[in-house]
Amino acid sequence: MKNKSLTPVLVLLVMVFSAGIGLAADKPVKIGFAYIMSGPFATYGQFAKQGAELAIDELNAKGGILGRKVESFFEDTAGKPDVGIRVIRKHVFENGADVVMGLDSSGVAAAVAPVMMELKTPLLVTHAATPDVTGSKCNRYTFRVSLNINQNIAMASAIAADMKSKIWTTAGPDYSFGHQSWEYFQQYLARKKPDAVFLPQAEVAFSPAATTDFSSYITKIMNSKAEGVLISLWGGNLIDFVRQAADMGFFDGKRDILMTLGAATEVLYALKDKMPTGIWVGTRYWFLANDTPVNQAFVEAFSKRYNVYPSYNAHGAYAAVKAYAAAAEKVKSVEKEKIVEGLRGLSLELPVGKITIRPEDHQAITDGAWGVTAADPNYPIRILKPIRKFSGAEITPPVAETGCKMN
Amino acid sequence: MEAFFANLLNGLSWGMLLFLISMGLTTVFGVMGVLNFAHGSLFMLGAYLCLQFVRWTGSFWIGLILGPPLVAALSVLIERFLLRPLYGRDVSLQLLLTFGLMLFLDDGVRLIWGAAYHVVNPPEVLSGSVALFSRSYPLYRLFLVILGPIVGIGLWAFFTYTLWGKLLRAAATDRQMAEIVGVRVPVLFTAVFAFGAWLAAVGGALAAPHQSVGPAMGERIIIESFIVVVIGGMGSFPGAFVGALVLGLLHSFGTTFFPQLQMALPYILLAVILLIRPRGLFGAES
Amino acid sequence: MRIRRAGSLWIVASTAFLAAAPFFLSTYWILILTEILTMSLFAMSFNLLFGYTGLLSFGQAGIFGAGGYLAVLSLLHGPSSLWGAFAAALAGSALISLVIGWFCVRRDEIYFAILTLGFGMMLFTVAHNWRSLTGGSDGLGGFTLPPLDLFVWRGSLADPRHFYFLVLAVALIGAILLYRMVNSPFGLMLRSIRENTQRLSFVGADVRAVRLCAFVVAGTLAGIAGVLFAFFNRIASPEMLHWAFSGKAVLMTILGGSGVLLGPAVGAAIFFVLEHVITAYTTNWMVFLGAILIVLVLAFPRGVLGSLLDLVQRYRGRPRS
Repeated sequence: MKNKSLTPVLVLLVMVFSAGIGLAADKPVKIGFAYIMSGPFATYGQFAKQGAELAIDELNAKGGILGRKVESFFEDTAGKPDVGIRVIRKHVFENGADVVMGLDSSGVAAAVAPVMMELKTPLLVTHAATPDVTGSKCNRYTFRVSLNINQNIAMASAIAADMKSKIWTTAGPDYSFGHQSWEYFQQYLARKKPDAVFLPQAEVAFSPAATTDFSSYITKIMNSKAEGVLISLWGGNLIDFVRQAADMGFFDGKRDILMTLGAATEVLYALKDKMPTGIWVGTRYWFLANDTPVNQAFVEAFSKRYNVYPSYNAHGAYAAVKAYAAAAEKVKSVEKEKIVEGLRGLSLELPVGKITIRPEDHQAITDGAWGVTAADPNYPIRILKPIRKFSGAEITPPVAETGCKMN
Repeated sequence: MEAFFANLLNGLSWGMLLFLISMGLTTVFGVMGVLNFAHGSLFMLGAYLCLQFVRWTGSFWIGLILGPPLVAALSVLIERFLLRPLYGRDVSLQLLLTFGLMLFLDDGVRLIWGAAYHVVNPPEVLSGSVALFSRSYPLYRLFLVILGPIVGIGLWAFFTYTLWGKLLRAAATDRQMAEIVGVRVPVLFTAVFAFGAWLAAVGGALAAPHQSVGPAMGERIIIESFIVVVIGGMGSFPGAFVGALVLGLLHSFGTTFFPQLQMALPYILLAVILLIRPRGLFGAES
Repeated sequence: MRIRRAGSLWIVASTAFLAAAPFFLSTYWILILTEILTMSLFAMSFNLLFGYTGLLSFGQAGIFGAGGYLAVLSLLHGPSSLWGAFAAALAGSALISLVIGWFCVRRDEIYFAILTLGFGMMLFTVAHNWRSLTGGSDGLGGFTLPPLDLFVWRGSLADPRHFYFLVLAVALIGAILLYRMVNSPFGLMLRSIRENTQRLSFVGADVRAVRLCAFVVAGTLAGIAGVLFAFFNRIASPEMLHWAFSGKAVLMTILGGSGVLLGPAVGAAIFFVLEHVITAYTTNWMVFLGAILIVLVLAFPRGVLGSLLDLVQRYRGRPRS
């Protein structure tokens, strides 16, 4: 493998070197990343860093962006809004970043997005799913390349509409993400299935972020009249929930279950065969969802380099770097205002499929996939079989619904 | 009725886990007057070591037996070299030191075991569930419900009938007097701190099959254990037992009956109890 | 006497440095200095309770955050006036600290600490769960910063340097206020409460009233610091009210030295600079921060500033007054 690729690399090196003579004064393109690198969610920052570094190495191997080398800076948001704003300001003022990317927590993203108007620097959100950053808080400099809550819940409600359950409840984290997931689910499912019934606020199960014992929430759901359950718990919360729920007979096949982030690889790797089969799960990117050459190359390169299959957060960071490069090539510049123009309406082929960044609200229209958990001896984790794919057009709400007034 | 019993068991099993952790915290505070912020981190370390032993040997029991003494050994070093220079100084310094220790340990485990979530399976005999009314209930949770009181009674017997237990109580009541009658207090302090750490680590090992093992598990439990200890009365064993039970039950029944107040419930309980009984339920009034 | 003169020289010099900083420091460091000053005010207000009255409050962040939320709410629903926002936060945080203080000052030591933690976390729950009013976990933003209107001069606060001067002015006023307070007869009463509660009540002072008074002053200043923090970040977020944020003030205070008025400010500066330096080299900064904290506690038992002043004293061979 290495020997085979040596010749093109050498050729490229010569090209870059000779180009470098002409552009000796060119500074590298600087990308500032802001993820959770410490604490309970550090695993998300780690995955993102892997995806970002893979993308940057691929770019630099081909001569960088517009012939300029790409350099990266990583900062830790600790998942706190004030720290997030501080590190983004640090990227812009101290590290001299041409663009900033990242943000895991919706709270951090909601805090950072408005500040971008003052910093006049493009921000590419790669994980945080709050509708606001491409909705009520949308602005000229803020973009998102990953799926947001609305898109994921649109898929969930489409699947729910085909199920026989009429009465629905939820188990979600007791902060904006969980509440918004539930609110959009009610809104979207009621449109598709007018006779659907939703349990009132006091009867659904929202658990604080620090919860480790979910037994009382599981009991509450099992004692309710609900036939279907939307589970928007994620990460460590979802792992705890699934294990405890399995022991309590929650997955006895008597209820329809949708897990909006159940196909996240960090969850599947932790749970392995403890993840029940036959459950509908979603994610923001599933590495087996399509067999385009771009995806196959990404999955192969990623798993060869890091020994795990790429998680959605790795894909998000990878996608952002690639989208930025494409925008820069499109406008032939990395100047911040030009990049904004380049990103608007940008279409490119990514591992997840073809995405288009909508100019009206800066949300990427991206394909999505849900699937049913299944065991497969070829994989160390549960995989999805069958997979149901959705096109970006059918799951992205129209601009009028987002509440975005672009300035 | 069925829902009532399910909630009761949920509350009891969580309460028993809290009890084990709070026991160590309250002992260390009662005897040494040290409020140990890093107690949750020792709990976490117990879980990680259990995970490591399970990886090496495949046996949860080996992890439960061998992990906690290692944590106790580490805490002997902590007490001897970090805490000891601070005795007799301002209490706030101990607080800051144990806080620094917490940051160090919480992030340190990430360097060793990585940032990913880990899962420990319950031992073969305790996995699965038993039929309870029309539902099934996890055997491991029932094990916790039964284990809690056994450990509690064991510790009570230790403190009431053994020489070491009596020495500990004596030192807790009046350190100077204990010193005068010949108790080697420094050695006793080291032993108490190690004992508290051992209890925290046992709690961590027992929690490992129940929740995912990750760097934040200590931070998440430390405040709840503080509340248990304060509600029950600092340094009181029966207090820790009752406090843990109350908090566990409040958690499970609160989920059903006051979902919106869930997050504030422990703090409301805390404020009400401290305003009525300034030294907690079982604390000696001064 | 010589020491006091040397001390005031230092203070004049550092004030001059702070006032001149925007003219030679980079924008990023101005932003960091702004945060240091905001946290200094917060930590100094906490230290009025801790260092001078002997009350360890773990609920200061609750009032700090409440101040921030009140200011943002007044901007969103009231007039777009900077001074109006400050006034709303001032009145609100004074009232909240009066209520919380009324309950808490009856308790001592660890019980006071845990009780304030409890009340702080109740405020946190309000900010976190009352989504229609506070925006829930995403925080409350979306306001436009009103211009800094000094009647003779108007400037935009979006300019980091203008904002810096506002924070510097407010922090200085807060520091002077605290200085005059701790050096007044009232300050003497506070310190004697810390030394011996009983003796003070024997001579006829109402310990609770004195403590409550200190609690309200500390809370109000914390609320003002919260306004600066929320404006600086353009958002009021629930994290501002969490006990971990109170823990930050505790940390900075003990780090700098609780026995000295400016100790918390020095602690805040050390904390931010440490964080900046460590994160430049590693993303595992918490391990190093934890280790450095441990070393600092063992090496500077009276806080960095406190221990340094002690050293100066010993060098001059005089006992401290």
